Parts: sequence; C-alpha cells; structure tokens
Amino acid sequence: MLSMLAKLLKALNSESAPGQIALAFSFALIVALTPMFTLHNAIILLLAFVLRINLSAFFLALAAFSALAWFIDPYSARLGESLLANPALVDTWRDMYQSDFWRMTAFNHSLVLGGLLISLLAAVPVFVLSKVLINLYRHRLLAWFNKLKIAQVLKASKFYNLYKSIAE
Amino acid sequence: MKQWIRWSGLAAFIVISLVLVALFWFVAGPLIEKGIESFGSDAADAKVEVDSVSLSLSPLGFVIHGLTVADSRKPMTNALQLDKATAELELAPLFLGKAIISDLAVDNLQFGTARTSSGALEKKAVKEDEAEQVAAKEETASPFSSVDLPSADEILARESLRTEQAGAEFEQSYASHKEAVDQALNNVPDDKALSQYEQEIKALTSGSFKSLDDFKARKKKLDELKARFKNDKAAIATAKKAVAEARSDIADKLKALKAAPGEDISSIRGKYQLNAGGAANMSALLFGDQAGEWAEKALYWYEKVKPYLAEDEAGSAAEEESPKAPRDGRFVHFPSDNPWPGFLLRNAQLTASTASGNLLINAQDITSEPRVLGRPTRILINGSGLKQVEDMSVDIVLDHRKTPGTDTLTLTIKDWQLHDMNLGVAGAKLASSLVQVQGLAVVSQGKLNAQSDAQFGRTQFSSKGKTTFAKELGLALANVQQFDVNAKASGKITSPDFSLGSDLDKQLNAAFGARLKDKQAELEAKLQARLEQKLQGYIGDYAGKLGEFNQLEGSLDQRLNKVSELAGQNLEDYQAQKEREAREKAEREKAAAKADAERKKKEAAEKAKEKLKNLF
Repeated sequence: MLSMLAKLLKALNSESAPGQIALAFSFALIVALTPMFTLHNAIILLLAFVLRINLSAFFLALAAFSALAWFIDPYSARLGESLLANPALVDTWRDMYQSDFWRMTAFNHSLVLGGLLISLLAAVPVFVLSKVLINLYRHRLLAWFNKLKIAQVLKASKFYNLYKSIAE
Repeated sequence: MKQWIRWSGLAAFIVISLVLVALFWFVAGPLIEKGIESFGSDAADAKVEVDSVSLSLSPLGFVIHGLTVADSRKPMTNALQLDKATAELELAPLFLGKAIISDLAVDNLQFGTARTSSGALEKKAVKEDEAEQVAAKEETASPFSSVDLPSADEILARESLRTEQAGAEFEQSYASHKEAVDQALNNVPDDKALSQYEQEIKALTSGSFKSLDDFKARKKKLDELKARFKNDKAAIATAKKAVAEARSDIADKLKALKAAPGEDISSIRGKYQLNAGGAANMSALLFGDQAGEWAEKALYWYEKVKPYLAEDEAGSAAEEESPKAPRDGRFVHFPSDNPWPGFLLRNAQLTASTASGNLLINAQDITSEPRVLGRPTRILINGSGLKQVEDMSVDIVLDHRKTPGTDTLTLTIKDWQLHDMNLGVAGAKLASSLVQVQGLAVVSQGKLNAQSDAQFGRTQFSSKGKTTFAKELGLALANVQQFDVNAKASGKITSPDFSLGSDLDKQLNAAFGARLKDKQAELEAKLQARLEQKLQGYIGDYAGKLGEFNQLEGSLDQRLNKVSELAGQNLEDYQAQKEREAREKAEREKAAAKADAERKKKEAAEKAKEKLKNLF
C-alpha cells in the first residue's frame, strides 16, 4: 500500500500527464460504484491495462472510491430500482431484456444500473476536477509544500526514502 | 494515439485472463465436485459422494461420474445412485453468475442400492442408530405380528374365571354353614331322646295318683321335663334358623355359581373380540404397511425438495414486506421467453433402473426462482417399459410462481400385474392381481390432500401362516375375486393422517366374520363344556349334602311338633282326679246295676219264652 502511495506521489510529481492520472480516477470511480464482476467492469479493466493511464492511481483510487461506495450503494440501488420501474422506460428495458448481450451487462440489476449511472455522471467532473487539482498541485502546492518544515521532516522519513527509490 | 496504448498492459490483461481461465479449467472440476458433495450432504442429510467431475468446452458443460446419495434413514443404502450425468451450460448467463443448464442427461439412475460403507453424517450417526432401534422395536411390537386365536384351555388358564371364584365362595359358604348347623343340631333332641321323653311323659301322666305326694312328685318331674322341652324347642328353633340361613345363602351362592360360566363366556368373548367386528377395516391391516411405505418414500423426497421450492416464496414475501431496495441491489426481471433465474435446469432426461424395469424421467424448468421463470417445474415419469405394468405415468407439477405454492401429483397405473405382494399379516400374500390405479395429491401451504383409487381384479391370495388366524384369513381371502382400495391422506405434510377404505372390508367382514362366528361358536362350546366341568366339580360333591339340608329342616319341624306335643301334656289335678274317679266308680256301679237288671230281665224273658214253647 505504501509502495502504491509512493508511486501515486511519484506520478503526481512526475512528468506523467495529469489526464492519465485523472482518467485513472474516473475509471476507478466506475468500477468502485458498481458490482465488480460485470461486463462493463471487465471492459474498464481492459481499458485500464491497455490505455496509458496511471495504474497506481487507478488501484489507489479504486480502494478509496470503494470505501465511498459503501455509503453510496443504497442510494445507487434505489435509483436503479426506480429507473427499472419507471413506466416510461419499462418498454425499453423490456426490449433490452430480450437480448442476451444486454442481459449480460446486468442492466436489470438495480445496483449496476444506479451505480453505473451515478459513476458515469460523476466520471467527467471527477476527470476534470482531478486534472485541475493535479495541475494546481504541481505548479503551486508542491513548491509551497517543499518549503514547509513538516516536508523537511517527511523527507527524512522511511516513507520518503521509499518514494525516492521508486522515483529514481 | 500510439502513445496512449500500453501494449504490455494488453499482454498482461490477456495473460491474466488466460491464467484465470486455465485456473478455472483445472480447479472448477474439483470445486464443483466438492460443492456437490458439501451442498448435497447438507440437503440430503446424508453423505453425497462424487467420483469425479470433468468440464467440457463444446458443448460447454460438465460431466459428473459416479454420484451416490445415501439414504438418511438407512445409512447402508443409497437413496439414489447414477453412473454419469452430462450437463450442458449456457455461456451468457454464466457471466452473471447464473447457472442455467439447458440439458441434463442422466444414465442409469438407480434407487435403493446397497452401500459398502455407512452414508450417515457423523453428527447424525448416533441419532440414526437410535431411530433404527426404535423402528425395530415398533416393528416387533406390532399388534398384528402374532395374531392368533388361543385354545379354550389356554384362555381358561390365563383368565381369572368368575366360575372359579363363585365355586370357591360356594365351598366356603357351605363349609361355614355346615359347621354352624352341626353345632346347632348338637343341642337338638334326637329320636331316641324324644322316645324317652314320650315314655317319661306317659309314665307321669298315666295311672292314678297313689297319694298327694305321688302327685307332687310327678308334677315336679313333669315341670322339669317341660323346662327341658322349652330348651329343646329353642335349640330346634336355632337349628331351624341356621338351616334356613344355610339354605338361603348356599342357594344364593349356588345361583351365582351356576351363572358364572355364562359371565365368563361373555367376558372372554368381549376380551378376545370373538365377533365379526374384529375383521373390520381389514384392508387397512393388509395394505396399511405397504401404503405407508410408499407414502413415506414420497414424503421423504418431497421433504428434500421442499426447502428449495419455497426458497423463492420466502424471498418474495420478504420483498413484499420491505419495499426498500437491498443495498447490494437485485435483479429486476421482465417478461421474456428466456428468463435467467439464478439456477435453472431447462430439460433433464433421466433413465432410472428399478426392480420393475426402467423408468424414463423427464424434468422441465427446475429452478429455485419459479417467479422469474414464470413457469412451474414439471416432472413426468413414464414407465411404459416396465415388466409388470402395461403403462404408468406420474405427472408432478411444482407451481411456486405465486404464494402459496401448489404442488400436484397425478398418478395413473394401467394393468399392473401384481405377484406375491406380501400383505404383512399372518403370512398372507396377494398371489396375483391385475390392478388399475388413479391418484391425485395436492400440497399447498404445507398441507397435503391426497386420494388414490385402486381396483384389484382377478385376485388370488395365498397364505402360509400356521396360526388359526392365518388359516381363517386365508379361507376368507379365497372367496375374494376383486376389490377396490381407496387411500386418503390429509393434514400436515410432516404428519398426515392416512386412511384406507375398501369394499374388501365388507367382503372379508362377511367371509371372515362367518368363519369367525363358527369358530367362535365352537370355541364357546368348548369353553362352556370346560366351565360346566368346573361347575360340576364344585356342585357335584355337594348335591347330596344340599338335599340333607332340606330333609333336616323337615325333621326339625317334626321334632319341634313332637316336643311341642309333649310339652302340651299336663298332670290332672289331684282333687279333680279323685272326684273323677268317684264319679266314674258311681257311673260304673250304676251301669253294672243297670246291666244286671237288663240281664235279669232278659233271663226272665227267656224263661217265659221257653215255657211258652214247651206248651206247644
């Protein structure tokens, strides 16, 4: 875990494109807010491996968002339930239900539908916000942070040595 | 674009995916095997063992080799055993963790095969032993296991007979009264004493008093005799009373003794059911065990399946109670020709080997979520190739789409050639019969309502029993050509009430009843004779002695009369006697004078008559 955190810090501090890290956060959000063993999560994982996103950021964010999901899941499930029961959408769901492909996506699972909708809606703001924050961090916060005495203390710690060994 | 692709990542994803597939390929078989054994053992309450499970890719599925399910009630027997089961899986539902088996083919399904080792689960082993012991005890304690009619002597030997009791009372009564009477008779004057009394009275009352002193002496003696007469009369009265009491009591006891054999016969008749009513509901006696065994087997399997049938109902009820969506979500199902429940066996073909031949079992839509499927589970069992049955079909519909669920079984058996069916009573067997059966059982809300009608035709019975009952039953059954049996079961599925009715009852009741009536009459006659012997044993010795009591009473009456007569004798008054004697003397003298005068008159007449005669 420490190693992964060090890698994240390295990525934040390195020349890695902020978009690569921000996309990792967005992917992690989708995986975390929906049940793990679903078709869309398999595709997300494939994308996470194949695209040059920051995997450390992805897995670390996955853990963080999973904790968040514990609080959000009941609302996600309720949202999915209401959507699946919505008379205006029932015909659509019914049509999709006749297809094995759509059935494989588990769209008719309340948590999958609700969680996916929330995570997709949140993915873009998370992507944009995290990208802005990474840029802010690199250009302003990092310089200011390095000047702090606590930063000097941290640099003397075991964790910093680990980070440094990875960064180099 | 190229800088966005991480080829190593793609390779890693493929490698990881392949590793997972390979891992699944090698591990899935043993995992399924362990899963079947673990889950199956819990469900069957007995050991479930699988030789091996192998996966196949085309078609996607798995093959189970050598599956045995032990019978939880008989650990050394398999409830079922199969050589090979081939299952074809649908791929798409697997991605959602739904096991949908499109086809399942089972070869050589067998029931009730023997095991080499106990199939009891360890925790159950002790309970099984106890259950078997209880069952064995119940079996040996069956009230029908030794039905027989005892002989007259056996009945009399084991019964507490009223005849014997009354006989003892009679004997005791006679003995005590005899002693009392004998004691009373000791004080009663006998004939000799009475004769002596008579002589003494005569001596005292006859002849003239020689003097006044003579009179006084006689008077004193007479008074003494009268005092003795008084005592004797009292003694005779006491003896008479004792004799009367003895007669009355002994007569009562004798009456009770004479009635006792009848009471004994009546009591024995009621106790040993020596009447035609004992043959009532004979069909339940004959077929009860067999019907119970079949019903027990059916309920055994139903009890195993029931938890999984009701699983969906429980879930649905919970959903209805709580409209809130669960935090981990749920599948919402829509109308479809191809729904995906969590588990579904679309079609299963099984060939089962039984002692009567092969059964073809076809099961459709077996699922734990019938509401999702929208169709009931249906099981068709066909026995058209059976050795002794022309045609047999069992149609089972397990419908749990709505609450409460309803399970229905329809049974039809055509031309069932029954041979040597053990009836379980007194060695009787249904040697042969052609049977037609129709049955319907419905289970809803845990309650069973079942009825079946069986028509037994061309019946022939045999009986090898040696007991009287067995012989009589055999003779009664020999007259039965055809009969119907109606079986009913209702009540809680865990403990239904079974009842069997049949016109066999009427036929047997008539035939068996008539036979039994003859036997009853014969036995009663024997009992009567034995009891009569006992009665005579008590009465016979006393017959003469009882007559003595009657004679004795008459004799006592005579003696009392005699004593009373003697006691009524009185001495004449001394003065009166003297006056009477003087008067008698005067009368005698007067009579003598008169006679003398008459004589003289007569002599004078004779003389005159003589003189007159001489004149001529």
